[in-house]
Amino acid sequence: MEAVQILVDGFAISALYALGAVGFTLLFGVSGVLNLAHGGTLVVSAMIAWLVATDLHLGTLAGAPAGILAGMVFAFATYFAVVRPIQRSRAIPREETEIFILTGTLLWGIMCQTVLAYCFTTNPVTVPALIGGVVPIFGVRTPRNEILIALACWAVIGALWLLINRTRTGKTLLAASINPRGLTLLGFELSRIHLLVWAIYGLLAGVAGVLLATFLGASSDAVGPLTASAFSIVVLGGLGSVGGSLVAAYVVGYLETITAYLVAPTLRAIPALVILILVIYVLPQGLFGRR
Amino acid sequence: MLRSRLLWATLIILALASTLPLWLSAYILGVLTTAYYFGVFAMSWDLLFGFAGEVNFGPTFLIGLGAYTAALIDNLLGWPIPLCVAAAAVVAVVGGLLLALPALRLHGPYFGLVTLVAVLLLQDVIVIFAHFTGGEIGMTVPDVLSISAGTNYWIALVFLTVSGAALFFYSRSPLGLILQAAGQDPTEAASLGFNVAKHKLAAFSVSAFFSGIAGAMLIFYLGSASVDVVVDLAIAVQIIIAAVLGGRRTILGSVIGGVFLIAAGQVLLPLGQLSTFVVSAVALLVILFFPDGLLGHALRRGEQE
Amino acid sequence: MPETIRRSLWQPSRRQVLAGAAGMAGLASVPATVRAAGEPIKIGIIAEASTLPGAAIPKGAQMAADAINAAGGVGGRPIELIVYDDHVSAVDGVRAFQRLVQQDKVAAVIGSFISEVALAIEPWSARLKAIYITPGAASNDISKRVHDDYAHYKYTFHGWFTSYFIAECASDSAHDILVDQFHMKTCVVMSEDAAWTTPLDAAYLEFLPKAGLEVLDHIRFSPDTTDFTPIFNRIEGKKPDVIMTGISHVGVVPTVQWKQQRVPIPMWGVSSQATSSDFWKDTNGACEGVAGQEGAGPDSAVTPKTIPFTQAYQKRFGLVPAYCGYSSNDLVYIIAEAITRAGGSTDPDKLVTALEATDYVGTIGRFKFYGRQDRFTHAMEYGPDLVPGVMIQWQNGKQVTVWPKKFATAKVEFPSFVKLPA
Repeated sequence: MEAVQILVDGFAISALYALGAVGFTLLFGVSGVLNLAHGGTLVVSAMIAWLVATDLHLGTLAGAPAGILAGMVFAFATYFAVVRPIQRSRAIPREETEIFILTGTLLWGIMCQTVLAYCFTTNPVTVPALIGGVVPIFGVRTPRNEILIALACWAVIGALWLLINRTRTGKTLLAASINPRGLTLLGFELSRIHLLVWAIYGLLAGVAGVLLATFLGASSDAVGPLTASAFSIVVLGGLGSVGGSLVAAYVVGYLETITAYLVAPTLRAIPALVILILVIYVLPQGLFGRR
Repeated sequence: MLRSRLLWATLIILALASTLPLWLSAYILGVLTTAYYFGVFAMSWDLLFGFAGEVNFGPTFLIGLGAYTAALIDNLLGWPIPLCVAAAAVVAVVGGLLLALPALRLHGPYFGLVTLVAVLLLQDVIVIFAHFTGGEIGMTVPDVLSISAGTNYWIALVFLTVSGAALFFYSRSPLGLILQAAGQDPTEAASLGFNVAKHKLAAFSVSAFFSGIAGAMLIFYLGSASVDVVVDLAIAVQIIIAAVLGGRRTILGSVIGGVFLIAAGQVLLPLGQLSTFVVSAVALLVILFFPDGLLGHALRRGEQE
Repeated sequence: MPETIRRSLWQPSRRQVLAGAAGMAGLASVPATVRAAGEPIKIGIIAEASTLPGAAIPKGAQMAADAINAAGGVGGRPIELIVYDDHVSAVDGVRAFQRLVQQDKVAAVIGSFISEVALAIEPWSARLKAIYITPGAASNDISKRVHDDYAHYKYTFHGWFTSYFIAECASDSAHDILVDQFHMKTCVVMSEDAAWTTPLDAAYLEFLPKAGLEVLDHIRFSPDTTDFTPIFNRIEGKKPDVIMTGISHVGVVPTVQWKQQRVPIPMWGVSSQATSSDFWKDTNGACEGVAGQEGAGPDSAVTPKTIPFTQAYQKRFGLVPAYCGYSSNDLVYIIAEAITRAGGSTDPDKLVTALEATDYVGTIGRFKFYGRQDRFTHAMEYGPDLVPGVMIQWQNGKQVTVWPKKFATAKVEFPSFVKLPA
């Protein structure tokens, strides 16, 4: 009985983690950018969705697209205000770009957090679920919203897979992640590819943020922890590997759920952290890393 | 020529700084005292990152270890302050070595993640054992360094000077140069016959030593220890920003960055919530337009003259 | 201020936006009608501006200051508030306290609702010999320290319920409503694993059985929990009649999930976030039927001053005061009276003696401080004729007072998915 509960409960949570992490890893895989303002993208999407849905009384159907759009806008803002200037700066030596992007996006994330706290206070908000009510799954009373979240996450991830593996644009992205210079030799404009990746990232994070808000709530305080969580999952799975992130998300999600059910709710986060360290120690590139 | 200019500038600033208690208010002295300890945190980080090339998100792991060790020993065993600080140094160095071990196999973001996880774990452990550590509310220590603002200030200044001198000369010594080489191109350094692993371990130990002691001393200055003050990721972020702002690989620049951050935060206090925003925005602008940091930029300018 | 910003985003009023941007210091330095003249008496305020309860502290205090000044001030001297944000950080709180005492030379500091910050400031109150009163923190240790080392810590006062009395209050209400009215017999205590809940839970375990509720289980969860399904499932497995809560760091999320999962057990007890007037919006109505302990709700007439204050606050700031808005308001009056009692002097030792003699009817009740012989020296006295505390329940988008009986404006109602004992 409890096993079924764990299975059902862990599935939706892990799906959310997965969606949040996939965008992050895609950005690194194709652009080489570790966006430490990632939590900001998620929370901005969530709070704008709440603003439109609840504060302006327009409902979730209007709030969700608004939130996703806000996420994309914020992603582009991160790119144009912080990442691109650093990448193009002549004053920063090549090898150092990474640390500057890390620090820059970190600062940007803090700025975002402060503004959000100023406008909305640190109180968490939730977006009303599109479908209310519960449905028994193998005897476990499951909110319909959770099922919707799991389905939505997998739909988006599925669409991403289709994009990367079945469309020309997607194959270009894949190529860019393997050999950017080779791609330019073939006549592709890297800058266009970067824009595309950031757009996809914004979309993925936007959806993740809105879904997060319907289930787990969002607040300005969550910006840091969300980034840390995505970072952990992505590194565990292997930087740049979308499949790796998916697997890692489920590992972490289920670990946390199992701990909360079987061990103690106070120790929820610990096993995941310990496993993380052990795996990294044994497999320094993560589970499926290749870089 | 440049070295001695830097040296003279430092000496003059130090001399000025030591006279401050004579004509500044207790409150401002307090701000500077915290800033000096923060400066040591940043310098220790710069040694690891700037020289050993290790992206480290967890300076507060070492600081927290030192701080809580000192606080726990003072509360549970009642040892005098110098012994507590010594114990803090030992535990922090052990922690630093533990952290260093994965560093020898991992690079870049992977190692960064391990440091990040180390901080999260430490935070969780402290909260879980709240019975001893006071959890997220923290614990007070029965002994403090001093009640007088002036005395506290001088203690911090002396500590900053000694640590700064040690770290600076280590970084400019042959050992430090090897470390820098190892950080920027480990293969070449190894092929030249240097034991890269040994030098990185040494760097971690040195960084941990100073971080741990600074953490302990900060606790004895504030009179209380809490996760918020010495472990939280937000503090780690501030340390990284201070070092990069001041100028990475300058060691001394970290002090400037640290003092700037803390002082700016206080000066902007009347702005209320938005003070953090302003400080972060300014730091971001400095990073974008003066990537060498404040001191790094000044040194470059000096070179061009 | 943040609330004003939110409204002005859609009905832009430049003056409001500018006022918001000027920050709390701006708010503090504009006295209403200053008929009082003479050298101002400065009172320091430390608050966490980015949180809902914290934002209320300077507002409640400002209303008191303005009213006192309009009536002539304290012995002819106006009250001036100096307000600092502590960014939810103990270090910043200590720093702000030092600045207020050593630089701004205030007579007393009202500050912070977070136990961690208050406990970090308290030793400095002792070292600098400066009056410090917290309008909202709950830790027992704040007043315990005063009891254990009176000579040093006497300058600190605890202007709110300690965890011990919060639990007692919630248990008293559970006895009157849940046991007597709804015939409940069992409960599970669910609280966040934080330092403030350790004494709360201990007090719960002491008082609840006496109130008539057998405690079947005691669950503590990590404060950064976002998925409460395992916890609710575990509670359900024990089949209690009610969940007694001890939550502050979380509130919106467990409530939303409680509703989404249709957990058939009501929630009662302490839920700080539930006391904020935005809770309905934040949870999209999931909080229907959730009850939390408060000093006063929007419709509680605890004293003749309560509702007029709530209404005046609402008119001026556009929202209902959070719990420490009430206490910070009362504390300014209390400090003013103490100064008068001390013959106009702001000498800390004289103020301590004067504050100990406090007997003031404020917005949340009759304020007195426990004495040296009591366990919680300098804490706010709890009792039906002193500060009684109330239970507020969310019904149809409104917060209504449901306990104690003499202040109740509505009967307790639970949502349809909650199963009540026959």
